[in-house]
Amino acid sequence: MDRALNSAAPYEAELAALLSPVAGRNLEALAQRAQALTRRHFGRTIALYVPLYLSDYCSGGCVYCGFAADRTQPRHRLDPDQIVRELEAIKAMGFEEVLLLTGERTPRADFAYLRDAVAEAARQFHAVTVEAFPMTTDEYRQLAEAGCVGVTLYQETYEPEQYARLHRWGPKRDYAARLDAPSRALAGGMRWVGLGALLGLSDPLFDTLALYRHARALRHRFWQAGVSLSFPRVCPQEGGFVPPYTVSEAFLAQVIFAFRIVCPDVPLVVSTRENARFRDGIAGVGVNKMSIASRTTVGGYRDHNDSPDGQFHVNDSRDIATFCGALADRGLEPVLKNWDRAYRD
Amino acid sequence: MEALFLSGCLGAGGSACFGSLGNAVITIPKLRLGGHEFESRLLVGTGKFASVSVMFDAIRASGAQLVTVALRRFNREQPGDDLMGPLLKLGVTLVPNTSGARNAKEAVRAAELGRELSGSPFVKVEIHPNPHHLLPDPIETYEACRILAKDGFVVLPYMPADPVLAKRLEDVGVAAVMPLGSAIGTGHGLATLEMVRLIIEDSRVPVIIDAGLRSPSEAAAAIELGCEAVLVNSAIAAAGDPAAMAAAFALAVQAGCAARCAGLMSRSNRAVATSPLTAFLGEER
Repeated sequence: MDRALNSAAPYEAELAALLSPVAGRNLEALAQRAQALTRRHFGRTIALYVPLYLSDYCSGGCVYCGFAADRTQPRHRLDPDQIVRELEAIKAMGFEEVLLLTGERTPRADFAYLRDAVAEAARQFHAVTVEAFPMTTDEYRQLAEAGCVGVTLYQETYEPEQYARLHRWGPKRDYAARLDAPSRALAGGMRWVGLGALLGLSDPLFDTLALYRHARALRHRFWQAGVSLSFPRVCPQEGGFVPPYTVSEAFLAQVIFAFRIVCPDVPLVVSTRENARFRDGIAGVGVNKMSIASRTTVGGYRDHNDSPDGQFHVNDSRDIATFCGALADRGLEPVLKNWDRAYRD
Repeated sequence: MEALFLSGCLGAGGSACFGSLGNAVITIPKLRLGGHEFESRLLVGTGKFASVSVMFDAIRASGAQLVTVALRRFNREQPGDDLMGPLLKLGVTLVPNTSGARNAKEAVRAAELGRELSGSPFVKVEIHPNPHHLLPDPIETYEACRILAKDGFVVLPYMPADPVLAKRLEDVGVAAVMPLGSAIGTGHGLATLEMVRLIIEDSRVPVIIDAGLRSPSEAAAAIELGCEAVLVNSAIAAAGDPAAMAAAFALAVQAGCAARCAGLMSRSNRAVATSPLTAFLGEER
């Protein structure tokens, strides 16, 4: 563990050592090292972004997801004029990076719908990213041309048998197609891909090590690729699903510190799935990018819809000003614009 | 080592007096870049600071007159998130940089926008296609510098510490070359020392170390080696007390300049006695 902590060239073996129970008992040492590296590579800044759910129509059958096709709640989709107004409301909050989300591909929210939403967002925002469904290289190219700079796509779990059990039907059953989608996104001209595993679906040690391999393989193949990593924990309330593995807050922190130590120059992201105390504590220590003021329902920024049936429960419901104040109290500068549309082709 | 110094002292230019270090009055020539003159030979960056006020204090303490800022951190729509507006009020010369550009085309576009927004003729060409280690792309950097120099910019390229590329960039009209000491933000200091030494030996434009410096002593060493200036960002922004560290870098750069002007003694592989034992021997020896 000590050797891994101070290694000049840490790789998979060092990551495994830092994820071990021994390292878990030395969490403070990991945190200290992680903070020094975060500060060195990202400074005392936290990049902020906000998600916009465009649609909760979904063809997927993910056992753990509140948006799965067999759930009976009413579905919503933002029409083009609603998208414009939601984006305007988000822009007025100060954001310059927006993440557009949909469910798995459906006729109501298909590729053309998403591409048009990206084009509209790119008219208003410098940085537009997408978290939707796996696409072809050509589709990713069209999205990039419409102004999308990055694609987030979680493998959910890297454990193939568990993956097959949890994804009951539809195109998402195809483990390999999903695993390969970030490569297609980069081949299609995306600058960034965001990877992640929904921690708790399988053995988190297995999933985090596989996540590391996935990121490294992409960086080997695409030397210009930006890869960022997220560490969402599966929430038990989603669709009454009880996750087979419990991921404690302390282990989540250990995972984030370990990745920071082994991948010091990779952006690590935490969403509002986690609560304010955890987020404030991990900001600048391991994490350098965060969402805030998120609504996980379709739209909701314009009319302040506080409906509880979002994709996941938001555990940090602070507004952007309150959160920026909390960051400032910790000596961290929130960064809203870290990209410029001048770099678009 | 003396051969490395431009006319035995720092690069040509008017003189600027830094006052006295101890009892000696030190006169350090001004730094000349594309027809502009600067008294300070410490350039600073504006990324990674905990707040704009911390950044301001650090810039003031550094005495820097040339301050680089990323175009992507210009935010005209959100003044609270904007770095350019506050910096324009500080009375320093802004050097917009093209950080975030992956190729020459994007860098040229960013440079033009940066000039339009800041009114500065300076541009720091920064093209790093890999967003993780942020190392500069020599091929795209060359192409962007060629276009921008022709377009009248005062071009300062962030570049790999490659002596051949340095001459190539000089040929297309850059105002200085800025080889990296080590990768951005790593604090590994002058890891490229031998290459930087070769760049200085052949260069007719100022050599400015950009990136990698961690401590003021490394900045002083770079100046003593023959660099005309250094650019520091992470080492100041990530310090416990950024303003105090900025002041320390300023002192170190002055010390390096003073040492250059004072004339460093040459190195020898053997001990040289200050009172030679053969001094008693007469003239006929």
